[in-house]
Amino acid sequence: MALIITCPVCGKRNGYEFKFGGEEKGPRPDETDLTPKAWCDYVHMNHCVAGVQKEWWCHKDGCGSWFTIYRDTTTNLERQVQKADHQEAEK
Amino acid sequence: MFFKRKPMWGKKKKLKSSYDVVIIGGGLHSLATAYFLAKDHGITDVAVLEKNYIGFGGAGRNTAIVRANQRTQYNVPLYKEALDLWPILTKDLDYNLMFNNCGNLNLMHSEAAMTAARMTIATAQFHGVESHLIDAKQAKEMVPALNISEDITFPIHGAMFHPPGGVVRHDAVVWGLARGAAKRGVEIHQETEALGIGIQNGKVTSVTTSRGTINCKQVLISAGGYSASLIHGMLGIKLPISVLTIQAMVTQPVKPLLNHVVSSGAYHAYANQTLKGEIATGAHMDPWPNYTTLTTAHYIKHQAEALSEFLPCLRGLRFMRIWGGLADMTPDMAPIMDGNNQIEGFFMDCGWGYFGFKSCSAVGKYMSEFMAKNECPDILKPFALKRYEEHRLMGETAVVVNYTPDN
Repeated sequence: MALIITCPVCGKRNGYEFKFGGEEKGPRPDETDLTPKAWCDYVHMNHCVAGVQKEWWCHKDGCGSWFTIYRDTTTNLERQVQKADHQEAEK
Repeated sequence: MFFKRKPMWGKKKKLKSSYDVVIIGGGLHSLATAYFLAKDHGITDVAVLEKNYIGFGGAGRNTAIVRANQRTQYNVPLYKEALDLWPILTKDLDYNLMFNNCGNLNLMHSEAAMTAARMTIATAQFHGVESHLIDAKQAKEMVPALNISEDITFPIHGAMFHPPGGVVRHDAVVWGLARGAAKRGVEIHQETEALGIGIQNGKVTSVTTSRGTINCKQVLISAGGYSASLIHGMLGIKLPISVLTIQAMVTQPVKPLLNHVVSSGAYHAYANQTLKGEIATGAHMDPWPNYTTLTTAHYIKHQAEALSEFLPCLRGLRFMRIWGGLADMTPDMAPIMDGNNQIEGFFMDCGWGYFGFKSCSAVGKYMSEFMAKNECPDILKPFALKRYEEHRLMGETAVVVNYTPDN
Protein backbone atom coordinates (compact mmCIF):
# COMPACT_ATOMS: atom_id res chain seq x y z
CA MET A 1 0.00 0.00 0.00
CA ALA A 2 1.05 3.48 -0.63
CA LEU A 3 2.97 5.47 1.90
CA ILE A 4 4.58 8.88 1.68
CA ILE A 5 7.22 9.73 4.25
CA THR A 6 8.73 13.11 4.97
CA CYS A 7 12.49 12.83 5.18
CA PRO A 8 14.00 15.72 7.14
CA VAL A 9 16.60 16.18 4.38
CA CYS A 10 14.84 15.18 1.13
CA GLY A 11 11.22 16.06 1.94
CA LYS A 12 8.20 13.99 0.94
CA ARG A 13 9.23 10.79 -0.83
CA ASN A 14 7.72 7.41 -1.77
CA GLY A 15 7.66 5.03 1.20
CA TYR A 16 9.44 2.25 -0.70
CA GLU A 17 12.63 4.36 -0.60
CA PHE A 18 12.69 3.95 3.15
CA LYS A 19 13.46 1.19 5.60
CA PHE A 20 11.23 0.81 8.64
CA GLY A 21 13.32 0.92 11.80
CA GLY A 22 10.93 -0.19 14.50
CA GLU A 23 8.84 1.50 17.13
CA GLU A 24 10.48 4.23 19.19
CA LYS A 25 11.44 2.50 22.44
CA GLY A 26 13.59 5.13 24.10
CA PRO A 27 17.33 4.87 24.69
CA ARG A 28 19.18 1.56 24.78
CA PRO A 29 19.05 0.29 28.38
CA ASP A 30 22.13 0.73 30.53
CA GLU A 31 24.31 -2.37 30.74
CA THR A 32 24.83 -2.18 34.47
CA ASP A 33 22.10 -4.14 36.28
CA LEU A 34 20.56 -5.09 32.97
CA THR A 35 18.02 -7.90 33.45
CA PRO A 36 17.02 -10.38 30.73
CA LYS A 37 13.50 -8.97 30.96
CA ALA A 38 14.60 -5.38 30.40
CA TRP A 39 16.80 -6.42 27.47
CA CYS A 40 14.02 -8.56 25.96
CA ASP A 41 11.65 -5.60 26.33
CA TYR A 42 14.02 -3.39 24.39
CA VAL A 43 14.93 -5.90 21.72
CA HIS A 44 11.69 -7.76 21.01
CA MET A 45 8.64 -6.20 22.59
CA ASN A 46 6.29 -3.88 20.72
CA HIS A 47 3.19 -1.87 21.51
CA CYS A 48 1.52 -2.79 18.20
CA VAL A 49 -0.64 0.33 18.32
CA ALA A 50 -3.61 0.32 15.97
CA GLY A 51 -3.44 4.12 15.71
CA VAL A 52 -0.76 6.78 15.88
CA GLN A 53 2.72 5.64 16.88
CA LYS A 54 6.19 7.16 16.93
CA GLU A 55 8.61 5.15 14.85
CA TRP A 56 12.04 5.14 13.23
CA TRP A 57 12.74 5.24 9.51
CA CYS A 58 15.90 5.27 7.42
CA HIS A 59 16.01 6.88 3.99
CA LYS A 60 17.98 3.94 2.61
CA ASP A 61 17.59 4.76 -1.11
CA GLY A 62 18.17 8.45 -0.48
CA CYS A 63 20.26 10.48 1.90
CA GLY A 64 20.58 7.63 4.44
CA SER A 65 19.45 9.62 7.44
CA TRP A 66 17.65 8.13 10.43
CA PHE A 67 14.67 9.99 11.87
CA THR A 68 11.35 9.49 13.64
CA ILE A 69 7.87 10.24 12.40
CA TYR A 70 4.36 9.79 13.76
CA ARG A 71 2.19 7.54 11.59
CA ASP A 72 -1.33 6.22 11.92
CA THR A 73 -0.94 2.46 11.43
CA THR A 74 -4.60 2.08 10.45
CA THR A 75 -4.39 4.53 7.53
CA ASN A 76 -0.65 4.73 6.76
CA LEU A 77 -0.80 8.52 6.91
CA GLU A 78 1.85 10.60 8.57
CA ARG A 79 0.60 12.74 11.42
CA GLN A 80 1.80 16.10 12.57
CA VAL A 81 1.78 15.83 16.33
CA GLN A 82 1.19 18.98 18.40
CA LYS A 83 3.62 19.90 21.15
CA ALA A 84 1.33 18.80 24.00
CA ASP A 85 0.56 15.47 22.27
CA HIS A 86 4.23 15.19 21.51
CA GLN A 87 5.08 15.08 25.20
CA GLU A 88 2.20 12.70 25.81
CA ALA A 89 3.40 10.33 23.09
CA GLU A 90 6.96 10.48 24.41
CA LYS A 91 5.89 8.87 27.66
CA MET B 1 -35.33 -15.95 -1.71
CA PHE B 2 -38.80 -17.04 -0.64
CA PHE B 3 -37.79 -18.35 2.73
CA LYS B 4 -35.98 -16.60 5.50
CA ARG B 5 -32.40 -17.70 5.84
CA LYS B 6 -31.27 -18.32 9.33
CA PRO B 7 -27.64 -18.52 10.31
CA MET B 8 -26.31 -22.00 10.98
CA TRP B 9 -24.87 -20.83 14.26
CA GLY B 10 -28.16 -19.73 15.81
CA LYS B 11 -30.14 -16.53 15.94
CA LYS B 12 -28.82 -13.36 17.51
CA LYS B 13 -29.05 -13.80 21.26
CA LYS B 14 -29.06 -11.44 24.19
CA LEU B 15 -25.69 -11.21 25.89
CA LYS B 16 -25.90 -12.88 29.31
CA SER B 17 -24.38 -11.21 32.36
CA SER B 18 -21.98 -14.07 32.96
CA TYR B 19 -20.24 -16.93 31.17
CA ASP B 20 -17.65 -19.45 32.28
CA VAL B 21 -15.41 -18.61 29.35
CA VAL B 22 -15.27 -15.57 27.08
CA ILE B 23 -13.31 -15.78 23.84
CA ILE B 24 -12.35 -12.51 22.16
CA GLY B 25 -12.19 -12.80 18.38
CA GLY B 26 -14.47 -14.76 16.07
CA GLY B 27 -11.89 -16.36 13.85
CA LEU B 28 -10.89 -19.96 13.39
CA HIS B 29 -8.71 -20.31 16.48
CA SER B 30 -11.53 -18.95 18.64
CA LEU B 31 -14.23 -21.05 17.02
CA ALA B 32 -12.10 -24.19 17.14
CA THR B 33 -11.28 -23.61 20.82
CA ALA B 34 -14.97 -23.02 21.60
CA TYR B 35 -15.96 -26.12 19.66
CA PHE B 36 -13.45 -28.36 21.44
CA LEU B 37 -14.27 -26.82 24.85
CA ALA B 38 -17.85 -27.90 24.34
CA LYS B 39 -17.19 -31.21 22.62
CA ASP B 40 -14.24 -32.62 24.56
CA HIS B 41 -14.55 -30.93 27.95
CA GLY B 42 -18.27 -30.29 28.42
CA ILE B 43 -17.71 -26.55 28.90
CA THR B 44 -20.64 -25.06 27.01
CA ASP B 45 -21.16 -21.77 28.85
CA VAL B 46 -18.92 -20.01 26.36
CA ALA B 47 -19.32 -16.69 24.54
CA VAL B 48 -17.36 -15.93 21.38
CA LEU B 49 -17.19 -12.17 20.81
CA GLU B 50 -16.60 -10.91 17.30
CA LYS B 51 -16.37 -7.22 16.45
CA ASN B 52 -17.50 -7.73 12.83
CA TYR B 53 -18.80 -11.08 11.65
CA ILE B 54 -17.20 -14.48 12.00
CA GLY B 55 -14.64 -15.14 9.32
CA PHE B 56 -14.17 -11.42 8.62
CA GLY B 57 -10.45 -11.43 9.39
CA GLY B 58 -7.71 -13.90 8.58
CA ALA B 59 -10.16 -16.81 8.59
CA GLY B 60 -11.68 -15.64 5.34
CA ARG B 61 -8.61 -13.97 3.83
CA ASN B 62 -5.98 -16.71 3.92
CA THR B 63 -5.29 -18.72 0.79
CA ALA B 64 -6.51 -21.96 2.37
CA ILE B 65 -3.21 -23.83 2.18
CA VAL B 66 -2.48 -26.47 4.80
CA ARG B 67 0.84 -28.23 5.38
CA ALA B 68 3.09 -29.69 8.05
CA ASN B 69 6.53 -29.03 6.59
CA GLN B 70 7.80 -26.63 9.23
CA ARG B 71 11.35 -26.61 10.50
CA THR B 72 11.42 -27.38 14.25
CA GLN B 73 10.49 -30.33 16.40
CA TYR B 74 7.98 -28.19 18.31
CA ASN B 75 6.01 -27.00 15.33
CA VAL B 76 5.92 -30.09 13.14
CA PRO B 77 3.86 -32.32 15.50
CA LEU B 78 1.32 -29.53 16.03
CA TYR B 79 0.81 -28.93 12.31
CA LYS B 80 0.81 -32.68 11.65
CA GLU B 81 -2.05 -33.10 14.07
CA ALA B 82 -3.88 -30.19 12.44
CA LEU B 83 -3.46 -31.91 9.08
CA ASP B 84 -4.69 -35.23 10.46
CA LEU B 85 -7.73 -33.52 11.96
CA TRP B 86 -9.28 -32.26 8.68
CA PRO B 87 -10.87 -35.60 7.66
CA ILE B 88 -11.95 -36.20 11.27
CA LEU B 89 -13.50 -32.75 11.57
CA THR B 90 -15.27 -33.17 8.24
CA LYS B 91 -16.99 -36.21 9.72
CA ASP B 92 -17.58 -34.87 13.24
CA LEU B 93 -18.91 -31.53 12.05
CA ASP B 94 -20.95 -33.24 9.32
CA TYR B 95 -19.76 -30.48 7.04
CA ASN B 96 -17.75 -30.81 3.87
CA LEU B 97 -14.51 -28.93 4.51
CA MET B 98 -13.35 -29.81 0.98
CA PHE B 99 -9.93 -31.01 2.11
CA ASN B 100 -7.90 -31.64 -1.01
CA ASN B 101 -4.55 -33.13 -0.09
CA CYS B 102 -2.97 -32.38 -3.42
CA GLY B 103 0.51 -31.97 -1.94
CA ASN B 104 2.86 -29.02 -1.59
CA LEU B 105 5.86 -28.40 -3.78
CA ASN B 106 8.39 -25.97 -2.31
CA LEU B 107 10.78 -24.89 -5.02
CA MET B 108 14.45 -24.50 -4.13
CA HIS B 109 16.61 -22.13 -6.14
CA SER B 110 20.12 -22.71 -4.84
CA GLU B 111 22.29 -25.47 -3.41
CA ALA B 112 22.08 -23.72 -0.02
CA ALA B 113 18.29 -23.91 -0.19
CA MET B 114 18.53 -27.61 -1.10
CA THR B 115 20.65 -28.18 2.01
CA ALA B 116 18.12 -26.34 4.16
CA ALA B 117 15.37 -28.44 2.59
CA ARG B 118 17.26 -31.64 3.45
CA MET B 119 17.21 -30.65 7.11
CA THR B 120 13.53 -29.75 7.07
CA ILE B 121 12.75 -33.05 5.36
CA ALA B 122 14.78 -34.98 7.94
CA THR B 123 12.76 -33.29 10.70
CA ALA B 124 9.50 -34.10 8.94
CA GLN B 125 10.43 -37.74 8.38
CA PHE B 126 11.56 -38.08 11.99
CA HIS B 127 8.09 -36.94 13.07
CA GLY B 128 6.34 -39.27 10.64
CA VAL B 129 5.40 -36.58 8.15
CA GLU B 130 5.85 -37.52 4.51
CA SER B 131 8.27 -35.17 2.75
CA HIS B 132 10.86 -35.79 0.02
CA LEU B 133 13.57 -33.97 -1.82
CA ILE B 134 13.20 -34.11 -5.57
CA ASP B 135 15.31 -32.66 -8.35
CA ALA B 136 14.23 -30.16 -11.00
CA LYS B 137 13.43 -32.87 -13.55
CA GLN B 138 11.16 -34.74 -11.16
CA ALA B 139 9.46 -31.45 -10.28
CA LYS B 140 8.86 -30.81 -13.96
CA GLU B 141 7.32 -34.29 -14.34
CA MET B 142 5.00 -33.53 -11.45
CA VAL B 143 4.11 -30.01 -12.58
CA PRO B 144 4.62 -29.79 -16.35
CA ALA B 145 3.84 -26.05 -16.31
CA LEU B 146 7.03 -25.40 -14.34
CA ASN B 147 9.91 -23.61 -16.04
CA ILE B 148 13.12 -25.45 -15.17
CA SER B 149 15.31 -23.67 -17.69
CA GLU B 150 18.48 -21.93 -16.53
CA ASP B 151 17.73 -18.53 -17.99
CA ILE B 152 15.30 -17.24 -15.37
CA THR B 153 16.16 -15.02 -12.41
CA PHE B 154 16.13 -17.91 -9.95
CA PRO B 155 16.63 -21.24 -11.76
CA ILE B 156 14.99 -24.20 -10.06
CA HIS B 157 17.46 -26.63 -8.47
CA GLY B 158 14.91 -28.95 -6.96
CA ALA B 159 11.97 -29.02 -4.62
CA MET B 160 10.67 -30.22 -1.32
CA PHE B 161 7.63 -32.37 -2.01
CA HIS B 162 5.18 -32.71 0.86
CA PRO B 163 2.31 -34.96 -0.32
CA PRO B 164 -0.07 -34.79 2.70
CA GLY B 165 -0.48 -31.01 2.48
CA GLY B 166 -2.99 -29.27 0.30
CA VAL B 167 -5.99 -27.00 0.46
CA VAL B 168 -9.03 -26.77 2.73
CA ARG B 169 -12.02 -24.54 2.01
CA HIS B 170 -11.56 -21.88 4.70
CA ASP B 171 -15.14 -20.56 4.77
CA ALA B 172 -16.43 -24.08 5.25
CA VAL B 173 -14.19 -24.45 8.29
CA VAL B 174 -15.58 -21.20 9.76
CA TRP B 175 -19.19 -22.22 9.17
CA GLY B 176 -18.70 -25.84 10.17
CA LEU B 177 -16.95 -25.02 13.43
CA ALA B 178 -19.45 -22.24 14.25
CA ARG B 179 -22.36 -24.58 13.67
CA GLY B 180 -20.70 -27.39 15.62
CA ALA B 181 -19.97 -25.10 18.56
CA ALA B 182 -23.42 -23.45 18.53
CA LYS B 183 -25.13 -26.86 18.46
CA ARG B 184 -23.37 -27.70 21.70
CA GLY B 185 -24.44 -24.50 23.44
CA VAL B 186 -21.66 -22.03 22.63
CA GLU B 187 -22.99 -18.52 21.96
CA ILE B 188 -21.47 -16.62 19.05
CA HIS B 189 -21.99 -12.89 19.37
CA GLN B 190 -21.21 -10.98 16.21
CA GLU B 191 -20.97 -7.20 16.04
CA THR B 192 -19.88 -7.27 19.67
CA GLU B 193 -16.64 -5.52 20.45
CA ALA B 194 -14.61 -6.37 23.53
CA LEU B 195 -13.44 -3.14 25.15
CA GLY B 196 -11.63 -4.20 28.29
CA ILE B 197 -10.86 -6.97 30.75
CA GLY B 198 -11.63 -6.56 34.43
CA ILE B 199 -9.07 -7.91 36.90
CA GLN B 200 -9.30 -8.26 40.66
CA ASN B 201 -6.53 -9.61 42.90
CA GLY B 202 -4.61 -10.85 39.87
CA LYS B 203 -7.58 -12.78 38.51
CA VAL B 204 -9.79 -12.22 35.50
CA THR B 205 -13.30 -11.27 36.62
CA SER B 206 -15.07 -9.69 33.69
CA VAL B 207 -15.01 -8.51 30.10
CA THR B 208 -16.46 -5.14 29.10
CA THR B 209 -18.09 -5.17 25.68
CA SER B 210 -19.95 -2.74 23.46
CA ARG B 211 -23.12 -4.51 24.64
CA GLY B 212 -22.46 -4.49 28.37
CA THR B 213 -20.21 -6.15 30.92
CA ILE B 214 -19.92 -9.92 31.26
CA ASN B 215 -18.58 -11.68 34.33
CA CYS B 216 -16.30 -14.60 33.60
CA LYS B 217 -13.54 -16.69 35.09
CA GLN B 218 -11.51 -17.24 31.98
CA VAL B 219 -10.85 -15.16 28.91
CA LEU B 220 -8.97 -16.08 25.76
CA ILE B 221 -7.73 -13.49 23.32
CA SER B 222 -7.24 -15.06 19.92
CA ALA B 223 -8.12 -12.19 17.64
CA GLY B 224 -5.60 -12.78 14.87
CA GLY B 225 -3.79 -9.63 13.77
CA TYR B 226 -5.51 -7.55 16.43
CA SER B 227 -4.43 -9.77 19.36
CA ALA B 228 -1.22 -7.90 20.18
CA SER B 229 -2.91 -4.50 20.10
CA LEU B 230 -5.79 -5.78 22.28
CA ILE B 231 -3.53 -7.55 24.77
CA HIS B 232 -1.35 -4.48 25.19
CA GLY B 233 -4.27 -2.08 25.24
CA MET B 234 -6.35 -4.05 27.76
CA LEU B 235 -3.71 -5.59 29.98
CA GLY B 236 -0.48 -3.72 29.30
CA ILE B 237 1.29 -6.92 28.25
CA LYS B 238 3.78 -6.19 25.50
CA LEU B 239 4.35 -8.84 22.85
CA PRO B 240 7.19 -9.43 20.38
CA ILE B 241 4.81 -8.98 17.47
CA SER B 242 4.78 -6.83 14.34
CA VAL B 243 1.49 -6.63 12.47
CA LEU B 244 1.78 -6.41 8.70
CA THR B 245 -0.64 -6.42 5.80
CA ILE B 246 -0.23 -9.44 3.56
CA GLN B 247 -1.78 -9.59 0.11
CA ALA B 248 -3.18 -12.33 -2.08
CA MET B 249 -4.95 -12.44 -5.41
CA VAL B 250 -6.70 -14.71 -7.90
CA THR B 251 -6.54 -14.79 -11.67
CA GLN B 252 -9.39 -15.43 -14.07
CA PRO B 253 -10.40 -19.12 -14.17
CA VAL B 254 -8.57 -21.41 -16.60
CA LYS B 255 -8.58 -25.11 -17.44
CA PRO B 256 -6.86 -27.40 -14.92
CA LEU B 257 -3.09 -27.01 -15.16
CA LEU B 258 -1.82 -26.96 -11.58
CA ASN B 259 -2.46 -29.96 -9.41
CA HIS B 260 -0.26 -28.96 -6.47
CA VAL B 261 0.39 -26.02 -4.23
CA VAL B 262 3.62 -24.63 -5.69
CA SER B 263 5.63 -22.17 -3.65
CA SER B 264 8.97 -20.44 -3.97
CA GLY B 265 10.91 -18.66 -1.31
CA ALA B 266 13.23 -16.88 -3.72
CA TYR B 267 10.37 -15.53 -5.83
CA HIS B 268 8.30 -14.79 -2.73
CA ALA B 269 5.28 -16.40 -4.33
CA TYR B 270 3.01 -19.39 -4.09
CA ALA B 271 0.27 -20.52 -6.40
CA ASN B 272 -2.41 -23.14 -6.51
CA GLN B 273 -5.41 -23.66 -8.71
CA THR B 274 -8.75 -23.50 -6.94
CA LEU B 275 -11.59 -25.86 -7.76
CA LYS B 276 -13.14 -23.01 -9.76
CA GLY B 277 -10.03 -22.87 -11.94
CA GLU B 278 -8.62 -19.59 -10.65
CA ILE B 279 -4.94 -19.42 -9.80
CA ALA B 280 -4.82 -18.26 -6.17
CA THR B 281 -1.49 -16.68 -5.46
CA GLY B 282 0.19 -14.44 -2.98
CA ALA B 283 2.81 -14.37 -0.25
CA HIS B 284 3.85 -10.79 -0.08
CA MET B 285 3.92 -8.74 3.09
CA ASP B 286 4.28 -5.02 3.37
CA PRO B 287 7.75 -4.05 4.62
CA TRP B 288 6.35 -1.95 7.48
CA PRO B 289 3.75 -2.66 10.18
CA ASN B 290 0.23 -1.47 9.45
CA TYR B 291 -3.38 -2.46 9.95
CA THR B 292 -4.70 -1.12 6.65
CA THR B 293 -5.26 -4.39 4.70
CA LEU B 294 -4.88 -2.18 1.62
CA THR B 295 -3.70 -3.69 -1.65
CA THR B 296 -1.18 -2.24 -4.07
CA ALA B 297 -0.25 -2.25 -7.72
CA HIS B 298 3.30 -2.86 -6.48
CA TYR B 299 2.49 -6.46 -5.54
CA ILE B 300 0.30 -7.21 -8.54
CA LYS B 301 3.37 -6.35 -10.62
CA HIS B 302 5.63 -8.42 -8.41
CA GLN B 303 3.29 -11.41 -8.60
CA ALA B 304 2.94 -11.14 -12.37
CA GLU B 305 6.73 -11.02 -12.75
CA ALA B 306 7.31 -13.99 -10.46
CA LEU B 307 4.59 -16.21 -11.92
CA SER B 308 5.50 -15.49 -15.52
CA GLU B 309 9.03 -16.67 -14.77
CA PHE B 310 8.48 -19.98 -13.01
CA LEU B 311 5.02 -20.73 -14.44
CA PRO B 312 5.37 -19.05 -17.87
CA CYS B 313 2.09 -20.45 -19.21
CA LEU B 314 0.30 -18.00 -16.92
CA ARG B 315 1.61 -15.04 -18.92
CA GLY B 316 -1.22 -12.83 -20.11
CA LEU B 317 -3.68 -14.15 -17.55
CA ARG B 318 -5.66 -11.43 -15.80
CA PHE B 319 -5.99 -10.96 -12.10
CA MET B 320 -9.63 -10.79 -11.06
CA ARG B 321 -9.44 -9.95 -7.39
CA ILE B 322 -6.83 -8.86 -4.89
CA TRP B 323 -7.24 -8.50 -1.16
CA GLY B 324 -5.23 -8.02 2.01
CA GLY B 325 -5.27 -9.41 5.52
CA LEU B 326 -3.19 -9.07 8.65
CA ALA B 327 -0.22 -11.20 9.69
CA ASP B 328 1.06 -10.85 13.26
CA MET B 329 4.68 -11.84 12.93
CA THR B 330 6.98 -12.87 15.76
CA PRO B 331 10.79 -12.71 15.52
CA ASP B 332 11.15 -16.51 15.51
CA MET B 333 8.20 -17.16 13.18
CA ALA B 334 6.52 -19.29 15.83
CA PRO B 335 3.30 -18.46 17.67
CA ILE B 336 2.70 -17.49 21.28
CA MET B 337 0.28 -19.63 23.27
CA ASP B 338 0.20 -18.95 26.97
CA GLY B 339 -2.19 -18.85 29.87
CA ASN B 340 -2.47 -18.28 33.63
CA ASN B 341 1.09 -16.97 33.50
CA GLN B 342 0.64 -13.22 33.50
CA ILE B 343 -2.85 -13.07 35.03
CA GLU B 344 -4.90 -15.96 36.40
CA GLY B 345 -7.64 -16.85 33.98
CA PHE B 346 -6.11 -14.99 31.04
CA PHE B 347 -5.10 -16.99 27.97
CA MET B 348 -3.63 -15.86 24.69
CA ASP B 349 -3.18 -17.48 21.32
CA CYS B 350 -1.47 -15.13 18.88
CA GLY B 351 1.61 -14.42 16.81
CA TRP B 352 0.47 -16.86 14.14
CA GLY B 353 1.71 -14.67 11.32
CA TYR B 354 0.52 -16.16 8.08
CA PHE B 355 0.13 -19.75 9.34
CA GLY B 356 -2.89 -19.43 11.61
CA PHE B 357 -5.17 -21.26 9.22
CA LYS B 358 -3.04 -24.39 8.94
CA SER B 359 -2.94 -24.84 12.68
CA CYS B 360 -6.43 -23.87 13.84
CA SER B 361 -7.84 -27.37 14.29
CA ALA B 362 -5.00 -28.67 16.48
CA VAL B 363 -4.67 -25.42 18.40
CA GLY B 364 -8.39 -25.43 19.21
CA LYS B 365 -8.02 -28.92 20.58
CA TYR B 366 -5.06 -28.12 22.81
CA MET B 367 -6.01 -24.59 23.88
CA SER B 368 -9.38 -25.97 25.04
CA GLU B 369 -7.56 -28.64 27.04
CA PHE B 370 -5.32 -25.92 28.51
CA MET B 371 -8.34 -23.86 29.54
CA ALA B 372 -10.44 -26.76 30.82
CA LYS B 373 -7.70 -28.30 32.97
CA ASN B 374 -5.82 -25.09 33.78
CA GLU B 375 -2.69 -27.01 32.93
CA CYS B 376 -0.64 -26.45 29.81
CA PRO B 377 -0.52 -29.56 27.56
CA ASP B 378 3.07 -30.64 26.81
CA ILE B 379 2.72 -29.89 23.11
CA LEU B 380 1.99 -26.19 23.83
CA LYS B 381 4.63 -25.66 26.53
CA PRO B 382 7.43 -24.52 24.20
CA PHE B 383 5.23 -21.71 22.85
CA ALA B 384 5.04 -19.71 26.10
CA LEU B 385 5.83 -16.00 25.98
CA LYS B 386 8.70 -16.50 28.43
CA ARG B 387 10.90 -18.00 25.75
CA TYR B 388 11.88 -14.54 24.48
CA GLU B 389 13.09 -13.42 27.88
CA GLU B 390 15.01 -16.65 28.29
CA HIS B 391 16.58 -16.25 24.84
CA ARG B 392 15.14 -19.59 23.76
CA LEU B 393 13.74 -18.42 20.47
CA MET B 394 12.49 -21.17 18.20
CA GLY B 395 14.54 -22.08 15.16
CA GLU B 396 11.61 -21.88 12.78
CA THR B 397 13.61 -19.34 10.82
CA ALA B 398 17.39 -19.48 10.56
CA VAL B 399 17.79 -15.77 11.22
CA VAL B 400 15.73 -13.79 13.71
CA VAL B 401 13.20 -11.71 11.80
CA ASN B 402 13.18 -8.28 13.28
CA TYR B 403 11.47 -5.21 11.96
CA THR B 404 14.08 -2.98 13.57
CA PRO B 405 17.21 -1.17 12.38
CA ASP B 406 19.19 -4.39 12.75
CA ASN B 407 18.23 -5.81 9.40
